[in-house]
Amino acid sequence: MKHEGALAPDILIVDDDDGHAILTRENLEAAALGNPIRHFRDGQAVLDFLFEPGSHPPASKAGAYLLLLDIRMPKVDGVEVLRRLRADPKQRNLAIIVLTSADDAREVERCHALGCDVYLKKPVDFGKFADAVRRLGLSLTLLIKSPSGAD
Amino acid sequence: MAATLKELRDIKAALDEHSIVAMTDASGRITYANDKFCSISKYSLGELLGQDHRIINSGYHPKAFFRDMWETIESGRTWRGEIRNRAKDGSSYWVDTTIFPCMGRTGRPTKYVSIRTEITQRKADAAQLKRYSEDLAEKNMELEAIVSTLSHDLRSPLINVQGFGKQLARACEEIRAAFAASPDRALPASAVRQPLEVAIPQALNFINAGVSKMDSLLTGLLRFSRLGREALTIERLDMNALVAAAFSAMKFQLDAAGADVHVGRLPDGRGDRVLTGQVFSNLIDNALKYRHPGRALRIAVDGHVENGQNVYSVADNGIGIALEHQPKAFEIFHRLNPEGPAGEGLGLAIARRVLERQGGRIWVESAGDAGSTFYLSIPSAEAQPPPFP
Repeated sequence: MKHEGALAPDILIVDDDDGHAILTRENLEAAALGNPIRHFRDGQAVLDFLFEPGSHPPASKAGAYLLLLDIRMPKVDGVEVLRRLRADPKQRNLAIIVLTSADDAREVERCHALGCDVYLKKPVDFGKFADAVRRLGLSLTLLIKSPSGAD
Repeated sequence: MAATLKELRDIKAALDEHSIVAMTDASGRITYANDKFCSISKYSLGELLGQDHRIINSGYHPKAFFRDMWETIESGRTWRGEIRNRAKDGSSYWVDTTIFPCMGRTGRPTKYVSIRTEITQRKADAAQLKRYSEDLAEKNMELEAIVSTLSHDLRSPLINVQGFGKQLARACEEIRAAFAASPDRALPASAVRQPLEVAIPQALNFINAGVSKMDSLLTGLLRFSRLGREALTIERLDMNALVAAAFSAMKFQLDAAGADVHVGRLPDGRGDRVLTGQVFSNLIDNALKYRHPGRALRIAVDGHVENGQNVYSVADNGIGIALEHQPKAFEIFHRLNPEGPAGEGLGLAIARRVLERQGGRIWVESAGDAGSTFYLSIPSAEAQPPPFP
């Protein structure tokens, strides 16, 4: 899956539960995923990151970031993050996968209404993750470390 | 002929026993009213004769209602319907009404006979039933919300227990493999350091935290459900004494925070002493927990009577609750600020439950930063106990 020069997004895990974030990261790294992974503990933190220009690639650049967004978070929750991102034309192409801890039809419905139809039930494993990325489209590239290059 | 007349008289007598009967001329003026009509409308026959039915119009029905009625009977058809009327003393009563037009030779009605049955009680029952069913629907929705919240909140630690359980298993496997690979059965330190120092403690930490979280959720749920079953002892409550007791139980923390407490004159209420006291304790506790770091805490409790309910307010000058978070403040296990002071997310959910069972309500007004005012209502001391505990 490795394509030199193609856009390999940084993966931004947005989850208030540290344990879930660690498990997700470990599951992805165990499958030798090489994309950089960052963790944000709440919705506001990731919004600040995405809307603050300068220090990092702009989120509007397709393929720059892939959000793994938990829905239920205190204060600024996942639905609110989705709403804010979808309301901004510059962020419209941002790749977002919604995370749910239960198969809650109502939550999925709300996310669907906000323009996100790819969601994953936690815990995230690499197979389901790669599948979700495929459904998101072609502009995303997953970096898989070759066994010799693994550290 | 005489026999027929006798039979008609008998039928009329029976009708008078059963029904409210009146007759009007073609223009609607009352020409006859039986005793039942007089007694239910509380007008004497003399007051009714010559009047039209506007004398008992309650103003409840729209004009179109009576227009339709007149169109029907003037065209010679019988009209049936339920009408709310007003008696002389202002009280209202419902009647199931049939108006029969008596046709003259010209093909137009010359008079109308109306026969009515009182259905005031049935109407009241139907309204009550509607209230009950709305109440039930609301309770069902609450229950669904609780189940949904709880299943989410329980799944969350469960994911950690499962995930880090696997991590433990992997660490075991690593150690086992290293053990098997060493010919002299002596483990090199490098093989066990990572699992022993990082993976296993981390996994145990998250598993333990997850288990305690599930434990506290289930304990909280039990507490919440117990409140729904416990029998209430509804009595007259001296609210000033009750609030004073709640404050004095927390005197130490209030003094430590340098809190300025003001309690106005509170009208006596009706409710369960212990549970209502707990609601006030909880609100005071919240005011303490969520006080503003930049100003001395002030708590003011006041009360007044509003539409037969007593409304009490507990106002603080704490950190307040943003408008968008206010509806969620009373949801079970919802914590507005999980990183803030310790709490289970139960206090306000329990307060709401307690008050609703006593026929009251709780709500909050907050302009954010300036503090919060919680309002709670309970029946006033003179009120009847709620019919739907």
